[in-house]
Amino acid sequence: MEQGTSILGQALISQAPIAAWTLVAVAFIALGILVYVAIRSRTRRGDLEGTVQAFRSLDIEAFRNLVDSAEEAFLRDNLPPKKFREIKRRRAWAALLYAWEAGRAATALAKVGQAAQRSLDPEIAASGVQVTENAFRLRLQSVRVSLRLLTEILLPDLRSRSLPPLVDQYERAAETLFRLGRFSSSRLLKN
Amino acid sequence: MLLGVLAVVLYKRLLYREFPCFFAYVLYEIAKFIPLFALYSVQGVTGKQYAYAYCVTLLLSIVLRFGVIDEVCKDLFRESQFLKVATRRSLQCVTGLLLGVGVLLAVYAPGGNSARWYAGIFVVNRGAAMVQSGLLLVLLLFSRFLGLSWRRPAFGIALGLGVLTSVDLAYSALRAEFASEVGAELLDLLVTSTYLVCVSI
Repeated sequence: MEQGTSILGQALISQAPIAAWTLVAVAFIALGILVYVAIRSRTRRGDLEGTVQAFRSLDIEAFRNLVDSAEEAFLRDNLPPKKFREIKRRRAWAALLYAWEAGRAATALAKVGQAAQRSLDPEIAASGVQVTENAFRLRLQSVRVSLRLLTEILLPDLRSRSLPPLVDQYERAAETLFRLGRFSSSRLLKN
Repeated sequence: MLLGVLAVVLYKRLLYREFPCFFAYVLYEIAKFIPLFALYSVQGVTGKQYAYAYCVTLLLSIVLRFGVIDEVCKDLFRESQFLKVATRRSLQCVTGLLLGVGVLLAVYAPGGNSARWYAGIFVVNRGAAMVQSGLLLVLLLFSRFLGLSWRRPAFGIALGLGVLTSVDLAYSALRAEFASEVGAELLDLLVTSTYLVCVSI
């Protein structure tokens, strides 16, 4: 018993410097990430044209089909379980890529919206507020959807509840973006 | 000296209105140097008395730094009511998680420094630095993830404090563990240099 306690004690003592060096490593990794993120954050700018392009290029109807619960029920009823799991994983994976791209488009949209908020034109500034709020909502929505899709990839047999309304949010965000695009040119947004 | 210049700049640009806690922190950092230096120079003061004074000033510094992080956070989310609400809970979770890790570390890795209570100060500072640098890192990553744009002063404060707390974390972890005089002097020099860089940011 005593021997066991002393071995445990020795192990804890020898672990202490390891904890210290681990914290030093953690601190320097944090430092590296801080500097990297800081440099990248300062160099990025909102680009209206690029963001409109990103929104137009995403086939949101295809995403809607991939996450359609009626289609999933049909596949579940008509396919053998093994085949169903395989197909569901593929569909969830494809939908995850769409959600990821929607999230990236939302980040770009937020940048454009914030640039528009600084505009001297009150109409553009007000539109910028709407764009930004929609972009943030879309970004967070895309995270929730991605997490749900990841769960479906890992556990395809799980009966999925309806996904958060990413498509509706995407359409709302796109609408505000196109309205902003009509109001202003990208030249104004650079100010 | 640099902190003095920073305080003047904050005052002249009226930034003390937007960042009162940061302004108080800068003034406090200038003010705390005077009694600590006096205690260090006076012959009759023992090492333990100086360490007590250092401990008290350090604790106040930690509290003020949390205030500064709160200010930076409010400034970052100032334009979006939705984000203010949506991120509050996430940030509370992150803070709770980091605090938990800090407390666990304090219990299971209390430091091997021979002067136990002195090591305790560094363990507390280590935990606080971990929470603070973690929070600032999360804020920076979160802003990048959402595409939030920083205003220049808040960005500078967040980056400067982030670098300082990260180096402070490494410093406290090593000081809690090792008591060697030469090592301690080198570490002090490193932290002082970092401090100067951070104030310049």
